[in-house]
Amino acid sequence: MSFRGAHESTAGMSVGSAETSLTAAALASRPSLTHRLLLWSLGALVVVWGSFVFMGYQTGVHEADELTDGHLASVAALLLNLRATDPVVSALVTEHTTLPWLKSHDYQQSISVVQWDAQGQLLSLQGTTVAPDFTVDEGFATFMLGPDRVAWRSFSHWDAVHDRKVMVMLQLQERDDLARDIASQMIEPGLWLLPVVSLALGFALWRGLRPLYALSSDVAALDPGSTQRLASRHAWNEFESVVGSINTLLDRQQAAMARERRLASEIAHELRTPLASIALQASALEGALDESAKAQALSRIGQDALRAGHVLHQLLALARASRAELQEARAPVDLRALAQSVCADYAQAAWQRSDEIALIGPQVLIVSGHAVLLDMALRNLVENALKHTPPSTSIGVQLGLSEQGDVWLQVCDDGARDVDGLDAHTKARAAGSLHLGHEILQRVADAHGGRFGAAPVCAPFTTCFRLDLPQPMAALAS
Amino acid sequence: MRILVVEDDPGISSGLRTNLQQRGYAVDVADGVASAWAALRAERFDAVLLDLGLCDGDGGELLRRLRLSPVASAAQQPLLPDPATPVLIVTARDEVHERIAGLDLGADDYVAKPFDVNELDARLRALLRRAVGRTAPTIRYADIELDPAARTVRQQGRRIDMSPREFSVLLVLLEARGRVLSRLQIEERLYSWDAVIESNAVEVHIHHLRRKLGAACIQTMRGVGYFVPQAQTL
Repeated sequence: MSFRGAHESTAGMSVGSAETSLTAAALASRPSLTHRLLLWSLGALVVVWGSFVFMGYQTGVHEADELTDGHLASVAALLLNLRATDPVVSALVTEHTTLPWLKSHDYQQSISVVQWDAQGQLLSLQGTTVAPDFTVDEGFATFMLGPDRVAWRSFSHWDAVHDRKVMVMLQLQERDDLARDIASQMIEPGLWLLPVVSLALGFALWRGLRPLYALSSDVAALDPGSTQRLASRHAWNEFESVVGSINTLLDRQQAAMARERRLASEIAHELRTPLASIALQASALEGALDESAKAQALSRIGQDALRAGHVLHQLLALARASRAELQEARAPVDLRALAQSVCADYAQAAWQRSDEIALIGPQVLIVSGHAVLLDMALRNLVENALKHTPPSTSIGVQLGLSEQGDVWLQVCDDGARDVDGLDAHTKARAAGSLHLGHEILQRVADAHGGRFGAAPVCAPFTTCFRLDLPQPMAALAS
Repeated sequence: MRILVVEDDPGISSGLRTNLQQRGYAVDVADGVASAWAALRAERFDAVLLDLGLCDGDGGELLRRLRLSPVASAAQQPLLPDPATPVLIVTARDEVHERIAGLDLGADDYVAKPFDVNELDARLRALLRRAVGRTAPTIRYADIELDPAARTVRQQGRRIDMSPREFSVLLVLLEARGRVLSRLQIEERLYSWDAVIESNAVEVHIHHLRRKLGAACIQTMRGVGYFVPQAQTL
């Protein structure tokens, strides 16, 4: 387990518990997309509906205006052409016919008529008690009349011989009532429709957003610890990128967790094995042993203690690799000089095993990277080559630049060569596997955006591990 | 009791060998799947201590092959390897799912490294006890009481001193009581490959046991071997 991973998981756990306690309050105060959509839809509906109401009212007023003006003109023409000039005594006045299905003002308005002779002498006054001014121009006019200053609309017209003038009048209030009635008739269905539309809209939104609710529920139910992925039932065009991204993140998370588990298992194996051996040897020493067996047990305890110490050193290196990646910036590093220094440090150890270390590469090779991590990686590769190979092994440390301009570093050895007397166990170890040291190398590669793994070997070597370090364009230019 | 230790780490295998030998077991060591399989096919072992991460493969594969081995019928000579051989997994893999997987493969018990040798010994004794269908920690036969854990023998409550080999011969005969064991079968249970065996070692141990426990305790079937009669069991 990496130290960074452990830190993150601990932080994740604390955040998780805090989230649990805040869930109810947070959910209550969190805005709802459904409410927002409903609000916007209803808002848009009200605006559109309001516009129609306004336009309906305007149309009603305009039509009522035209209708009443038309009536005034028609009545004036009728009166002049039929010569209906004599007023009827009040006792004989015919009242308006009552139509029960109509309101009192509907289309049966109280029209007043005034007649003058050519000299302006008032001949008759019907419907109103106050006569308007004779001098009002011929045609349509709007004026105030009487002590209450009531607004009237009128149409004045002279007969063909110009000896009689007729004025037909209607109170503006009646015309406006008609206009409002027309407008309200248009608005009323909308008033009933609005709540129904709101309910229908809410249902439609809920039904339409069901895939989103399903996605949200599935995402909430995801367990990063398992191998779950978002199901194909979310195959909506709009969700494609979200589902794809979540699944990619899940895959990465699961791969990272699998790697952490593998690493933890690797550490457990590497650390527990020498500790178990030490415990066994110590227990054996408590019993009856001859001098040779005692010496052997003590020697084994010493070796295993060093082995456990080496594993601890690797663990610290792993922690440092994670920390350096986060805290230290990349800088130009002369890989050749670094490799020379590392090879020189292992000269004595190699000599004691009759091994041979050779460095091959350009005289100067500048890379952009973390010097600490690169040093650690190279030391691990050389150490592995020394530890897991039989004596008299040739070890080659090679550096170079690929055709794409990427820097590579590899350590090869002939440890798996056919050696007389080398047992299968040693050969199997010499063949190498990704142990803790290689996990460190993988992390160093990740920190540099590169790759680490076994590489094709060239004779006489039998095993080769390579670290590829992609270089940014700026670094290449410099 | 003969134990096969399958372990590729030299420190652990040598430590197990020494500790188990100190406790009176005959121990053979194999460092991989292939050598362990060869050993199981060649010899009979009372139990196997199995590491999972071996240099040439996974110990689980060895366990699977052992459990799938054919079972001998009553009329046949016992076949090797014996699929009923008790197996105790000794490994650094200690996660629950790994323990479950190991036990599901057919292991009888599971111990994670590092472990206490006394605990390992106790588990091993329990395995061996179960393998012969015994539940009590001590073996009682007539007036004899044998305690495998303390490696002591008492007769009529009085402690009888005996060497580790004599104790092992008595244990083997008592666990197989009612059955005749040949000299070779007794030797197989007592000695590992590298042990030097004198030609009359078993006869000498039997002679000493009869002298200490009484002549009627162990019967001889001439030309076949030795046995402890079942009928006298209390």
